[in-house]
Amino acid sequence: MTSKFTISRRDFLSTTAAATVMAGVSMPKIAFGADDVVKIGFLAPLTGEVAAWGKPGLDGCQIWADWVNADGGVKIGDKAYKVEFVPYDDEYDPSKARTGAVKLIKEVGVKFVMMLGGDPWPGAAPIAEKEQMLFSTLLPSDLSPETTLLVAPCEVHPIYNVTGVEWLAEKKPELKTAVICAQDDSLGKPSVATYLAAFEAAGIEVLGKPIFFDPATTDFAPIMSKMLALKPDIVCLDTCYADYVHPLVEQAFQQGFKGQMISCTADFYQKMVEKTSKEFMEGFVFQFPDFDDPALNAEHVNFRKPNDFYAEFVKRFGAGEWSAVSWEYASIMDLWADAAGRAGTTEPVKVLEAMQVGGTGKQAFGEADWWGKELFGIDNALVGLWPVVKITDGKARIQEFKSIPAWWDKHKDLLIKHMTALDQMYFQRG
Amino acid sequence: MTPELFFQTVINATYAASYMALIAVGFVLIFGVMGVVNFAHGELYMAGAYTVVALYADQGFPFFLAVAAGLVFVGVLGLLMEFALFRPLRDNPLGGLIASIGFLLILQTIAVLGFGVRMENVPPSTQDKIVFLNGVVLTYQRLYVIVAAIGLLTALWLFLRKSKFGWALRACAQDREAAALQGMSINNTARLAMFIGAALAGVAGALTAPLVSPTPFMGHPVVVAAFIIIIVGGLGSLEGAVLVSILYAFVHTFVTTLYDGTLANIVGLLLMLAVLIVKPTGLFGAKERA
Repeated sequence: MTSKFTISRRDFLSTTAAATVMAGVSMPKIAFGADDVVKIGFLAPLTGEVAAWGKPGLDGCQIWADWVNADGGVKIGDKAYKVEFVPYDDEYDPSKARTGAVKLIKEVGVKFVMMLGGDPWPGAAPIAEKEQMLFSTLLPSDLSPETTLLVAPCEVHPIYNVTGVEWLAEKKPELKTAVICAQDDSLGKPSVATYLAAFEAAGIEVLGKPIFFDPATTDFAPIMSKMLALKPDIVCLDTCYADYVHPLVEQAFQQGFKGQMISCTADFYQKMVEKTSKEFMEGFVFQFPDFDDPALNAEHVNFRKPNDFYAEFVKRFGAGEWSAVSWEYASIMDLWADAAGRAGTTEPVKVLEAMQVGGTGKQAFGEADWWGKELFGIDNALVGLWPVVKITDGKARIQEFKSIPAWWDKHKDLLIKHMTALDQMYFQRG
Repeated sequence: MTPELFFQTVINATYAASYMALIAVGFVLIFGVMGVVNFAHGELYMAGAYTVVALYADQGFPFFLAVAAGLVFVGVLGLLMEFALFRPLRDNPLGGLIASIGFLLILQTIAVLGFGVRMENVPPSTQDKIVFLNGVVLTYQRLYVIVAAIGLLTALWLFLRKSKFGWALRACAQDREAAALQGMSINNTARLAMFIGAALAGVAGALTAPLVSPTPFMGHPVVVAAFIIIIVGGLGSLEGAVLVSILYAFVHTFVTTLYDGTLANIVGLLLMLAVLIVKPTGLFGAKERA
């Protein structure tokens, strides 16, 4: 007996397609409705000289989003939301930052905007105020009593630079003199004030005046010649952009410098090792670790799976693309997602309240305090431990986590003195 | 200023004068023969640097082969510009200028798409250096630029003074129509001027690539300096371009070393302003360009 039930090829294909679609939409963890997406603005330089502190951060955010979304998204209230980053290239330009802020908030409908900060922030500030949008910056020098919706929850640039100098003075007390150079802009100046304070606190004399060079400089030989003529023990490259750190280091090498170098960042340092030598770069001190560093597995570190994050970053973008900011925006997202979850809403003011409840928070490297009133006029910077990193045998490794608040408690008068002298206090900035 | 710092600054300035002279002479040559201010000249310099990035840093070809390729490649780019942009707009200098701005943006975009926005790492071809007394240093990498500039500019001078093609170029620079009436091909001399002018910028970029960390936007500050040099030297004056490159590089480098770079830029601009007031045709410029 044969069955009368038959199925045509067309029926088979349509049924299979429908079943596939149904199965897809019923997947509980990784499927989201059109309304279940929370958009986050990424307003940072993606092109130009400062792109090294924007683009690698966006790349890190994509990894963060993929991981969080694969785990079911961010739980806010009784719903899980997929996170989507919407980038806008501000080209480190205030007017473009303003346009980007308007577009991201009014057209895209983002719930939070992450910026590098610095020169572009004044462009976006009026929009943040008008739209009551929560913004983050990597540069707390953007903070002032008026910037109530701006937080610096990850890095307290340039204040953490004191930890590198403090560590160096402890480990190499024979170093007695230093010279400093930086590009003449809103990143360079507060950083120079910080290094001046840190060197003074450590009993290291700064020779000559700090050199502020034009950001359009292409030949760094005269600058390095001028610095080396003072015969310093330490050459400090302040918070120079990667495009300046590399040629400056190369010049120091070519002009025969044999002493200690210290810098806020050493992005793409492998290339500097290639252009100079392992021996020359040995002992170079800076402030930003590679995240494959075993020291980041310490209990006090709050960043999720740092070694895996680094491995994924390298797999997707290459080791040479890792920069100081690759993990920073992602760590800010940890803080935001946690606060939004506790607030039960993405409403900016409520998220900020949840973020700052109790006056403490989980900064990437450990428990930290919301701080900054004396320096920035507002307690919107999250400050705690910061790593000191040294290049050893061509590889960056964390030497120690040092406490910024502990330094501040001992030497805050020095920092305020030098910030004031360079017109970098919040009430002096235009 | 200590004697060591003085001599190191002289070496730094000599290097700066060398690559600026290559760029400025190319710029002047194009302006003199074609009557066009080539705003894309800085990007030709950038294209030379990226040729070295592609061939030497990425593919491992010998450095000097990559430099030679940069010279030829950018020279050919110049021919392309002459054919596609400047020839159709020969009687419209403003049109040529605007077309060169467009080409500048195209070259920048190609570099961004091909290599990304970030600086490129070009390892030095050698880490050898000459150490003079008291630690004054001249690296071979910088010496190559100085030697190449002297060699190429001397060759260009001989070419312009001693060869028939050189005479034709100079004749066209003085009076294009009169030269045409004498049977000289305007198209051929324009092609030659563009090739040589672009190639000089290209070779400057190629030779300095290991010293400057190339980016797609590296041409901008260079072309600003080249403008100052050719205005001070006199539009159309090759000798003026060379001598003012030396003057500008020494003034800029010494002021940078003694004071700072921003002041050096201001001094450069003041120098240009002073020359424009006292001698508007430039230090070596003719009263009226033919």
